[in-house]
Amino acid sequence: MKKYHFTFQLLAVLAILLGTSPSYSFDFSKLENSVVEHTLENGLKLIILERHDAPVVSFNTYADVGSVDDPKGYTGLAHMFEHMAFKGTTTFGTKDYKAEKELIEIEDSIFMELRAERTKGFWADSARIEKLEKDYEAAREASYELVIPNQYGQTVSREGGVGLNAGTWADRTVYFISLPSNKVELWMALESERFLNPVLREMYKERDVVAEERRMRTESSPIGRLIEQFLGLSFLAHPYGIPGIGHMSDIQYYSRKEARAFFEKYYSPANLTISIVGDVNTKDLIKMAEKYWNRIPYRPKPARIATVEPVQTGERRMVIEDPSQPWYLAGWHIPENTHPDRPAIDALLDYLAIGRTSLLYKKLVKEEKMVAQVSGLTGFPGEKYPGMILLYALPAPKVSNTDCEAEILAEVERMKEELIPEDEVEKIKARAKAQFINGLSRNSGMGFQLAAYQNYWGDWREMFNELNRINAVTAEDIKRVANTYLTSKNRTVIMMNTVES
Amino acid sequence: MKSITLVTFAALMTLVFVFGSRSSAQDVSQIKYPKLNPLEIPNVKKIELDNGLRLYLSQDKSLPIFRASVRINIGSYLEPADKIGLADITSSVLRTGGTKKWSGDEIDEMLEAVGASVETSMGLATGTARINVLSEYTFLGLEVLAEVLRYPVFEQDKIDLEIVQQRSAIARRNDEALPLAIREFRKVIYGPKSVYARQSEYATINAISRDDLVAFHKKYFTPDNIQIGIWGDFDEKKIVKKIKKLFGDWSRGTVEIPKLPKVDYKFVRQVNYVEKNDVTQTNILLGHIGGLVTDEDYADRIVMNNILGGGFGNRMFNTIRSKEGLAYGTSATYTANIAYPGFFYGYVGTKSETTAKAIKEVIKVIKSMQTDPPTEEEMDRAKNAYLNSFVFNFDTKGEVVTRMMSYDYHGLPEDFLQQTKEKVEQVTAEDVVAAAMKNLRPDALQVVVVGKGEEFDMPLEELALGPVQTIDITIPSGEEKTELAITPENLEKGKNVLTEAAEAHGGLANFKKVSSLHTKGTLTIITPQGEMAIPFEELKAFPDKTRQEISLMGRTMLIIRNGSSGWHTGPTGELVPFSEEEILEENIDAMRNTIQMFQQIDSPEIQFVFDGSGEVDGSPVDFVVMLDKSGNSICRLAFDSKTHKLAAKSFWGTTMVGEGNIEERYAEFTQVEGILIPFKTFRNLDGKKCDYTEISEFNVNANVSADQFEKPTE
Repeated sequence: MKKYHFTFQLLAVLAILLGTSPSYSFDFSKLENSVVEHTLENGLKLIILERHDAPVVSFNTYADVGSVDDPKGYTGLAHMFEHMAFKGTTTFGTKDYKAEKELIEIEDSIFMELRAERTKGFWADSARIEKLEKDYEAAREASYELVIPNQYGQTVSREGGVGLNAGTWADRTVYFISLPSNKVELWMALESERFLNPVLREMYKERDVVAEERRMRTESSPIGRLIEQFLGLSFLAHPYGIPGIGHMSDIQYYSRKEARAFFEKYYSPANLTISIVGDVNTKDLIKMAEKYWNRIPYRPKPARIATVEPVQTGERRMVIEDPSQPWYLAGWHIPENTHPDRPAIDALLDYLAIGRTSLLYKKLVKEEKMVAQVSGLTGFPGEKYPGMILLYALPAPKVSNTDCEAEILAEVERMKEELIPEDEVEKIKARAKAQFINGLSRNSGMGFQLAAYQNYWGDWREMFNELNRINAVTAEDIKRVANTYLTSKNRTVIMMNTVES
Repeated sequence: MKSITLVTFAALMTLVFVFGSRSSAQDVSQIKYPKLNPLEIPNVKKIELDNGLRLYLSQDKSLPIFRASVRINIGSYLEPADKIGLADITSSVLRTGGTKKWSGDEIDEMLEAVGASVETSMGLATGTARINVLSEYTFLGLEVLAEVLRYPVFEQDKIDLEIVQQRSAIARRNDEALPLAIREFRKVIYGPKSVYARQSEYATINAISRDDLVAFHKKYFTPDNIQIGIWGDFDEKKIVKKIKKLFGDWSRGTVEIPKLPKVDYKFVRQVNYVEKNDVTQTNILLGHIGGLVTDEDYADRIVMNNILGGGFGNRMFNTIRSKEGLAYGTSATYTANIAYPGFFYGYVGTKSETTAKAIKEVIKVIKSMQTDPPTEEEMDRAKNAYLNSFVFNFDTKGEVVTRMMSYDYHGLPEDFLQQTKEKVEQVTAEDVVAAAMKNLRPDALQVVVVGKGEEFDMPLEELALGPVQTIDITIPSGEEKTELAITPENLEKGKNVLTEAAEAHGGLANFKKVSSLHTKGTLTIITPQGEMAIPFEELKAFPDKTRQEISLMGRTMLIIRNGSSGWHTGPTGELVPFSEEEILEENIDAMRNTIQMFQQIDSPEIQFVFDGSGEVDGSPVDFVVMLDKSGNSICRLAFDSKTHKLAAKSFWGTTMVGEGNIEERYAEFTQVEGILIPFKTFRNLDGKKCDYTEISEFNVNANVSADQFEKPTE
């Protein structure tokens, strides 16, 4: 009864507010029609959107390779290569490439000997290891003498580049930068060069940097420790279960040879998509791209991962005892993002766990005041292959994970039993629309999305189709996917419980 | 199979190399850059309403989005020290706790039904409200904003919810290492109790009531303190009309808002160690005070920062990360603010085993700024990185509007950024060295080290970077606040507990006989460096006269309180009168005196409210809160349930080592003239031992003359 009254009041309020404002719907087709796609002879794809609001341009180089593609025993290699892509080329980042190349080869051969000896374990010769370690150190220093450190980064920042960075995900590796729009040719020259002629210099120094990155993100952070365990528990076969940063022992193990092979296989032009959004002239841009990027010879697009995660046959559960405050995390396997069930799963998550009006927030935060935070996400840790839907909660002081879980799972059960009200389905769609339009406002974000849709769906136009898919979702669909996926035997739960150190 | 694949790769690799080296050598210095298309600096229109509210508008019709950023020129620096968290809680519950027109839940529903958001937050020196809506819901966003800013009702239920959030944040504040390191670094730079670094505790959160929120809002949320910046897809005429309608009849504030306190920094060489055993990486922050954007050499420092530690390929990045492989995250910047000094910091996150090595390397790099002048190449890169990326200061309307609001509020010229750019163009290598000599003090660094000390490569003492202080980050426990119930029963019970206690301490009649006291003793202060004993002598004529003489480092200091006036010895030996506020504080302090407390049992000015039973140091106690006539808490008392003796007293106050929640414990109860008085008092400040008092002489109704409480002639 109260609910009805409230809804009535709300509608009245909305009517007043909206009555005074112009109501029109935005025409996406205009934006969609301004996007230009061009494929080079070597298979590299360009997606260009001219926007002349300010004399700036954002570039995304999107490689369809991620940590799922790490070879067995070489976890973290995709990420390691991403670091190496900033080290220069045969002409960039070196004082004398010919001399450097020789020193790099010496460095390699010593390291290969060292790692072979180390891998012997019990049978290893410790004196030999000690000597090799000294030689290795000396070789690293010798080759470093010929390096011009960070010349790539220095050059683009000198020319006004901002946001220079890259990220390695489970599914993809993306290199970003925004530049004043008169520096397009500089970007073309440098960026094409680093995927044509990368020299993996300083690799054996950079691995120490990556090891520190692992210590920072995973080992020294409670949430990092939690996620690593959760992934391992969730996936038996699929590489989604392996941490993208890599295991510490693998980080210490790989050599330039494997990194180079990885590059050759996965950085073929046919596996790259470049999106460019900003103050550019499409015609000139394509001409320039042909000049610079066509230098990379064609190589085939690498195959997708064939491993399919076996169906989970029972709940998996783990308790981590940790000195930090408690966390609760539950996940269920769901299909990849191109699967027809995904819009309904995303709608389900929105209604269940996102925002102050979601079921979980209303129940656990507002009403029971038993958690400080509760939320969730879909497509974890990736979207290209079947991943997970996650729910997580941070219990309030003195509240146990077990108590939180009971409340969370009760709300999950409601999703399976009850049809959500029609006006709530409309709200989910309204939120999706607002979120979509907001996502268009930044050049870099827009470029990233275009490239992502191109890679997941094979067509960037699917980005503009996203709202249609969400709009087709019904309350019945949401209930159906809840029953299909949110089952107890498909569930993985981790609790991080506090113990005094 | 595998080896074949590898061979194939090797062959391919060679091919690429050959191909590459023949035709691809790109000399990027040969590239001719076209002229940059002209930058249209977004036009911002400014309107001031009669009540002082300032409005800034910039249109952008490219997407159907409407955004607003509201600047409220107040901050957490305004909250009282015993209620840290008040400003933050007020700003949160402003949005969640409902308004005259709508409940908080209704606002949530209205906004989330259309994917809109209106959010409020509070910083040290600025409060913020933001609207983000599709332009068809512009008026919804503005209506909610106006309601929230003007007519919040602070529903108690949403206050309770926010308290849970605040308590949770306190409980979790030591979990992640970097935020913890930054917090402790700010404390050593600005002072742990300063408004720039202080933190909320359970006790300060517990002290906050709904009345405090209402009062804070009423006092500070006034139109003359508010600037509204708007950008996106809107019709200017309609928006201005709407805003005038929503905010035009809001009256100006009546109080003058205090300015941020001055930062009084003393350069100190010190190492501050925080033990954190669940990490493999040490977080290190070292530095000292920084500057203002209005400083003469601000532009020189921008270039200095770019060479030292900002962006890719600076000295820190090249040395600490690329060359030494010591860290993933490393940087160094001399920061500057508009309203108060920033700080200079060097940061490195390195494995436990290279902690000392990394600290030394970072200091070396900082020193190099003074000893190795920038090369031509460094100057070229550092200046151009700023100049060439200048256009990104204007690529979104939002940043132009919000920057303009900030400059306008602080009285900076509208073209301050352009002026800075012109100065950066003129900076020379000599200027950079001069800025480094003047501003960097690698010889006087505060070093904060958060990590697992037992795995460090060297004890921190051996770094010879000054004394090593261990910072205890144990979170002071705070019992959950139970609302004090001032009911007739509790008032009666409170008085009963007090009367029983008075009996146990010698009887009310004996207390009432006491008209003056003469006490001698020692106050011993506990500091991380050791203990310091301060002899004192005190004369007291109840209720409102005190004369204290303390002997501090060979100097005698006098503190006199006489009714509504008083004086104390100042830093240079002269007598300084107490301010009105200080006298008030002194008088409240006197009311807490155990003898005076018993004397006041029947006073109509004082209330004793029973506050439940519990435990102190393992013994059962009854709690009583002592309130003044306006209902302010003077102290919370605990009496042993069996012996009825005073077991503990807690209150907010000031000690020699700082301000905070003080807890007293007693020992050596001694009988003098029929009353039982503890000759030893131990005190904790925020849960940590801070001092103890020992009485050596205690004379009741000693001879006192009125002139001993007069202002002495110098």
